[in-house]
Amino acid sequence: MATSSSRPSALSCRNIRVAFGEVTALAGISVDFPTGGIHAVVGQNGAGKTTFARVAAGLVKPDAGELSINGRNLRFGSVASARKAGVELVHQNFALPPSFTVAEAIEFSLDGEIGLFSRRQLLERCREYLNSLGMDIDPRRRIRELPIELQQAVEIARALVTKATVLILDEPTAVLPPTSIESLFDRIRTLRDNGVTVILILHKIREVWAVADTVSVLRNSRLVAGPIAREETDPDRIGNLIMGVGNHDSISHNNGKSPTRAAEPLSGARRETATAQPVSLDTVLEMKEVCTSVRTDEPCLNRISFEVRSGEIVGIAGVEGNGQLTLVQVLSDFVAVSSGEIDLCGAQVTGLDLAHRRSQGLRIIPFDRNREGLSLTSELWKNWSVRDLVLRPPLGLVNPSKLRARCAESLAEWGVRYNSTTQNAGSLSGGNAQKLILAREVDNTARLIVAAQPTRGLDIGATAFVWSTMRKARKRGCGVLLISSDLDELFDISQRVLVMLSGRIVSEFAPPFDIAKTGRAMTGSRN
Amino acid sequence: MIKRLEIVLRPLAFIALALILCGAIFECAGYSALLMFESILDGAFLHPGAWEKSLRWALPLFITAVGVSISFRCGFFNIGAQGQFYIGAICAAFVADALVWAPAAVVVPLGIVAGMAGGALWALWPGVLRLRSGTDEVITTLMGNFIAGLILVYVTSGPLKDPSGSGQQASSRILPPSFRISDSHGVSPTIVAIVALVAVAAWLLVNRTAFGTLSGLAGRNPVMLQFQGGRLWQLGLSSFLISGALAGLAGSIELFGPNGRIASGFLPTHGFTAILVALVANLSVAAAVVASVFFGGLFSAALFLPILAGLPSAAIDLINATIALFITAKFSLRKRIRLGRAPP
Amino acid sequence: MIEIHEFLVAILRSGTPLIYVTMAGVIAQRAGVWHLGLEGLMIIGACATIAGIVLTGSFLSSILIAVAFCIVASILQWFVIEVLEADPIIAGLGITGLGIGGTALAVQSIFGSLAAVSAPFGVPRIGSAFGPYSPLSIFVLIMPVVVFGMWVLLHRTRFGLRLSSAGEHPAAARSVGANPSLMRLIAFCIGGVFCAVGGAELAAGSLQIFAQNMVAGRGFMSFAAVIFGGNHPVGGALAAMFFSLAGVIGIRMQIHFGAVIPHDVLLCLPYLATVFGVWITGRMRGGAKSAAHAAELRDR
Repeated sequence: MATSSSRPSALSCRNIRVAFGEVTALAGISVDFPTGGIHAVVGQNGAGKTTFARVAAGLVKPDAGELSINGRNLRFGSVASARKAGVELVHQNFALPPSFTVAEAIEFSLDGEIGLFSRRQLLERCREYLNSLGMDIDPRRRIRELPIELQQAVEIARALVTKATVLILDEPTAVLPPTSIESLFDRIRTLRDNGVTVILILHKIREVWAVADTVSVLRNSRLVAGPIAREETDPDRIGNLIMGVGNHDSISHNNGKSPTRAAEPLSGARRETATAQPVSLDTVLEMKEVCTSVRTDEPCLNRISFEVRSGEIVGIAGVEGNGQLTLVQVLSDFVAVSSGEIDLCGAQVTGLDLAHRRSQGLRIIPFDRNREGLSLTSELWKNWSVRDLVLRPPLGLVNPSKLRARCAESLAEWGVRYNSTTQNAGSLSGGNAQKLILAREVDNTARLIVAAQPTRGLDIGATAFVWSTMRKARKRGCGVLLISSDLDELFDISQRVLVMLSGRIVSEFAPPFDIAKTGRAMTGSRN
Repeated sequence: MIKRLEIVLRPLAFIALALILCGAIFECAGYSALLMFESILDGAFLHPGAWEKSLRWALPLFITAVGVSISFRCGFFNIGAQGQFYIGAICAAFVADALVWAPAAVVVPLGIVAGMAGGALWALWPGVLRLRSGTDEVITTLMGNFIAGLILVYVTSGPLKDPSGSGQQASSRILPPSFRISDSHGVSPTIVAIVALVAVAAWLLVNRTAFGTLSGLAGRNPVMLQFQGGRLWQLGLSSFLISGALAGLAGSIELFGPNGRIASGFLPTHGFTAILVALVANLSVAAAVVASVFFGGLFSAALFLPILAGLPSAAIDLINATIALFITAKFSLRKRIRLGRAPP
Repeated sequence: MIEIHEFLVAILRSGTPLIYVTMAGVIAQRAGVWHLGLEGLMIIGACATIAGIVLTGSFLSSILIAVAFCIVASILQWFVIEVLEADPIIAGLGITGLGIGGTALAVQSIFGSLAAVSAPFGVPRIGSAFGPYSPLSIFVLIMPVVVFGMWVLLHRTRFGLRLSSAGEHPAAARSVGANPSLMRLIAFCIGGVFCAVGGAELAAGSLQIFAQNMVAGRGFMSFAAVIFGGNHPVGGALAAMFFSLAGVIGIRMQIHFGAVIPHDVLLCLPYLATVFGVWITGRMRGGAKSAAHAAELRDR
């Protein structure tokens, strides 16, 4: 491989093994990243990329193996030791306390002692430091007030403040709008030119080709290739490596996360929607000029108008934090409508509570399945039967054994893998947990299904299952409102895609979808 | 099966741990731990007539504990059982005092209803504050305990003062014998019947109604329940009211039963012990039967200790406190191994 | 004028113990633990100080004894919450019970009865140079320094930032190499010192007496002051002052209107002020919606 013999590798590991209980996360990884350059690590969800990054940063202690940075062996499971050796990790969801100011967030990353400072000292030092990185951020602003790309910039600045020589970024593009990705890549290139070794965890091949010098592939907890210099390979080969040659063709036809699709160049990706079934004329959801005025972390909804017809999947695209959360909250009556009207199946429901709306056929697959969708510490049957129980009179008698039996029946029908209906929902895997939610929400009386990021964090099989469930629901005459930040997913299964920006619907696209155009609409750029 | 066994064994293990720690403290303080445990066992269960005494404390304790567990199940840390117990007793005492001329068949049920209403009222305001404006119920119910204690002092030394009482502890006038539902031993068919009724009703409520399942889910994850259209407000407020009413019921039983009067600062640890009963029973109604007998036994032993072992009855408070310290621990070896390296 | 001085002396006298204990609550809260053991630690501090003075005859050694006991109890509480993963609220109540029961046992075994123990002298006074304020103890004088020091520690040092990150975002703390659990241990130990001082000031600041029920919810009030004070040292100190003001007003009114308003009602004032304080805080935080947030964390 590309290891130079004269200098020690920036990061080198031998036979790293990590297991979480019975799940193997890394099964003996050995890899050398040469000093300098941008090294991409790719693989599917669950291939072990994040675990690898966390091992290198000292956050996860492996069961076996060796790891050295610039030739120095690292003590496992110690963040302090990893940072001392010069490794820093930029987390996918940022490790920044939201109430801290930018200056504080950078300061608290510095090592050592009590560290007394005055406010002016702190601000000056921080301003100087940010300028040296070419970042123009007011150090007095609080993290929670910053847009996501600035938060990421602060996180990178925080990571570099200890003079890191190896910077690992875990899925840095997942949270960014398409237009900010290029400036992130510019920033990464500058870092490389300043001598920092950058390791990028990615899952889209086109991004690898846009920025990386070498690429390594993880599959099923193993390193299957790499680091290979980018010139020595091509996207299709990497795609095959990610998927494992052979089962590639059988899955890619219904899966937008498939590598060939992701490998398409950023501009001009056109595709048709697979299904051309006509959409009926009955509307199941109509939003008329809906506004909100409650202050949240997101912009308020501003005159949102659209409709979802029966038998139609409508996608909502947009960078996270542009009002999608508020939209779901408005539909589920957590946030009051300040003006405008919501109609469900032709009936006005604006002032009605969620129980009423649900009894009219509204179903919600919420953003955070572990927090909003399930009670992880409650039994499966309780999680399953809750939809029915809230509609019953509170003092009406129920028969738990009958509920358990019905739950078992339904879970079997949906192919949920479980041991007993009395086990806790927290013991299910992500895919099975989502199936449990589907089993509860997608029933015969559903008329409108609001699905918020329904495939986030799921593996390919579970993703395909979720999508086929939506397609089936649509064929039965349900309307589906699909909110997602993954354009591939939206383009694959929706009949229309609406783009949200700053609390408004700014444009509407119909097939054939154009990723570049949609991306520009998401960030509000003109050209 | 193992899961079931663990549910039973865990509290026992933690009680054992607490007793060991207490034993060590007693030894340090210069008492014989062995003698103390012996006399506790003796005073609680082995001594002639000890069972009856233990039961006398266990019965009201059970009622309050069931109430506590209903609000805990719903996720609300109503630790104001003590205050609700006092206010219940006070309301019942006012009714009995005002209707002293009326037949017992009217006054006693009316007094009990008034006690329940009073207890519920004392849980209502923290409940409303919590559910309307997010005021933390732990602090409000705690403060409610202190305020109720002061109200009790005021009532027993003011409106309901027994002029013939000794100066030591202000108390209300003793009820006419016809109003009493038990003698001072406190175990009578009426009280046992009331407790049985409460037990059956609470068990049905918790295990066999939509309310029971939903409030359990609300306690574990209210957000999820809200996404299902559950009315957290309704569930939460009813749990507060039920728990307050049951504490009030226990208060009025104390009044009409063994006590016959209310005195300032009577049974000051009743509410705290009821919380322990609920937690040791893992918030289950059936297990609370056993747990309340255990803590009732400890309570009656507290009265024996000074006589038998020369120990201050504070020893029992200490045992209760150490049990409280450990009882909610989630520690288990199995979990420790898995959590050692939590998946990202 | 004399009236005003008397009034201020009364407020400082009753407020200072609250403020010290509030500082313990603030630092624990910053590190991410609800500290409901304050009440118990305060009793331990008060009892150990008085018993120490009686037994050793030295103020300094008695305060050291109190600090030692409070730190041991704090470490016990930390151990139960962090290592055994017990519920912080119940464990805190357990520590409180331990303080009440343990001090009773100690008093009984040392002095032979549960009657109030009085000490020959108390915390040194600030001296006649301060005119009408001379009966106040030196802890009152140190108090503003301590509050300011806490503010510097929490808001103007890297250590404070790390401690706060352990409470607000443990993953962030971990990613910069700080151990949140260790941070909490440090916070609890510092808190133990403050509780000892608060208890000492309560028992030996003016009265030089330890009685069984003398703390009477002041620890819980301090905890409420942490919340009312927005989890900030200065805010917490002001909140504690507000509660003690309510208490002093109650006592004053008792002197003037004792015949009209029953004095037990007036004694309620600090408790009512506390309820009012947390109510205001709850409202400012956005009401019932955020209340659900606290509970949901139990689902993990």
